[in-house]
Amino acid sequence: MIEIILLFSSVLFIFALKLFGRPSTAHRANSFAMLAMALAVFSAFNFDFSKYDPAFYITIVVSGFFGVLISKRVQMTQMPELVGLFNGFGGGASGAIAYVELSNNSLVMSDFFVAIFSMVIGVFTFSGSIVAVLKLRGKLNNVNTTIANIFSAFLPPLILLPTIWKEMEILTLEYFMLLALIAGIIRVAVIGGADMPVVIAFLNSLSGIAAMSAGFIVNSIILIIAGALVGASGIILTLLMCAAMNRTLIDVLKGGFGGTAINNEYDKDPISTSPEDVAIQLSYAESVVIVPGYGMAVAQAQAAVKELTNTLKDKNIEVKFAIHPVAGRMPGHMNVLLAEVDIDYEDMFTLEDINSEFSSTDVVIVLGANDVVNPLARTDEDSPIYGMPILDVDLAKQVIVIKRSMSPGYAGIANPLFVNDNAKMLFADAKEGLENIIKSFELV
Amino acid sequence: MDITFLLTILVTFLASFIGYELISKIPQTLHTPLMSGSNAISGITLIAAILIYPEVGESQLLKIIVLIAIAFATLNIVGGFSVTGRILEMFKRND
Repeated sequence: MIEIILLFSSVLFIFALKLFGRPSTAHRANSFAMLAMALAVFSAFNFDFSKYDPAFYITIVVSGFFGVLISKRVQMTQMPELVGLFNGFGGGASGAIAYVELSNNSLVMSDFFVAIFSMVIGVFTFSGSIVAVLKLRGKLNNVNTTIANIFSAFLPPLILLPTIWKEMEILTLEYFMLLALIAGIIRVAVIGGADMPVVIAFLNSLSGIAAMSAGFIVNSIILIIAGALVGASGIILTLLMCAAMNRTLIDVLKGGFGGTAINNEYDKDPISTSPEDVAIQLSYAESVVIVPGYGMAVAQAQAAVKELTNTLKDKNIEVKFAIHPVAGRMPGHMNVLLAEVDIDYEDMFTLEDINSEFSSTDVVIVLGANDVVNPLARTDEDSPIYGMPILDVDLAKQVIVIKRSMSPGYAGIANPLFVNDNAKMLFADAKEGLENIIKSFELV
Repeated sequence: MDITFLLTILVTFLASFIGYELISKIPQTLHTPLMSGSNAISGITLIAAILIYPEVGESQLLKIIVLIAIAFATLNIVGGFSVTGRILEMFKRND
């Protein structure tokens, strides 16, 4: 009976992933996955609920309550932090289980190594995720890579150290746990903010791998299957994010990229514009493309974006959104913020889909994005972002960049787009800039 | 070599493969709910906690560690599915 429930649950999980492939069916995917999860958890009790004491049930009820509370209260701009936190919880749970199994049982050799693996990955995911969350909240700056390099260099001897005290066999587990904890902290601490989409996706994958290996220890097939699905999902997103930056995962994890200005010199002055001029320019346009970036999330400018979109659409101007895969702090971050204010997902375009259209676009509005629209990625072989796929907004007839100053983006380099002949700068915070444009429209 | 062990490896491989194939088809627009959804699924490690809880024995420390694992995993499952539902609802109403 239990086996049939579990089989049904596995099939449901896979169906859920299938349904997730389209925005119109994705909400049903969530219900399928919830049902699959409920069945899997139920079956773990094996119809014997009396084996568990009140502490067990209280823990489940209380943490379930907090889960609902957090999910209802979190704002969409905070999704990267929430996903980061949940990655940490998932990894931490698997790590804790592996630790208990290791200290409680005499495991067979193969299980022993899987359990060590699960513990190390789980604990690494936990501490790495906590650091990632602190970074996303702006509570932690980049740490110098030298510390990380020294730690990495000493890691092999540190791992082999317990073989010396093998005779005593005390605290070896705790020692490895501590190493994994420190490794997670140091590894993520050296990685800069705009590389967070890769880090979050990678930790997501690790939380799945930790769960999968926990499945091996307790001999649960459903745990292995679900863990493998999460691991695969995280790996795919990690690789997509790396490809979108033209960097390897190793290179991102090494850290030390960006955050400091390398070169921010311009050979000419940018053309500054006013909200009134932008409004006039837009009212003569037939097609407008908006390129949102992290600046939109920081300024909470989504509602203003929606208002401007409505204003333009009322004037029969076509409005599209061009979203770079690494815009924001996690995969799909911009899409969720736009969906939150009711912007149709049919109007959101990926880099591949929209790049050929820029040359026929009248006005592009760059809203808090920088490196992902930097033409140096196409032209300057010495640039740190050379080869990165970018949105070719410089090919449009007119470009308006809404940005507070000429400061460089994450890569720390000047963006020649800002001084391009077809570009104008509107120096303002994303939200304030848009609101002023909307106000000017009423006067036009 | 134990046949169940080999079958388990096969299942792991197949699950990873199916996951890879299906998830590759998910559009960029849904990547955030995909992540929060897979967060929720990684909470399935709750099963392992449920299985080992009755076998922990007398050690209060180990019992507390399992309870922490249960709390983390439950938070993941409930919070993850709930927030994913909230996000997907925003995509649904555009239809």
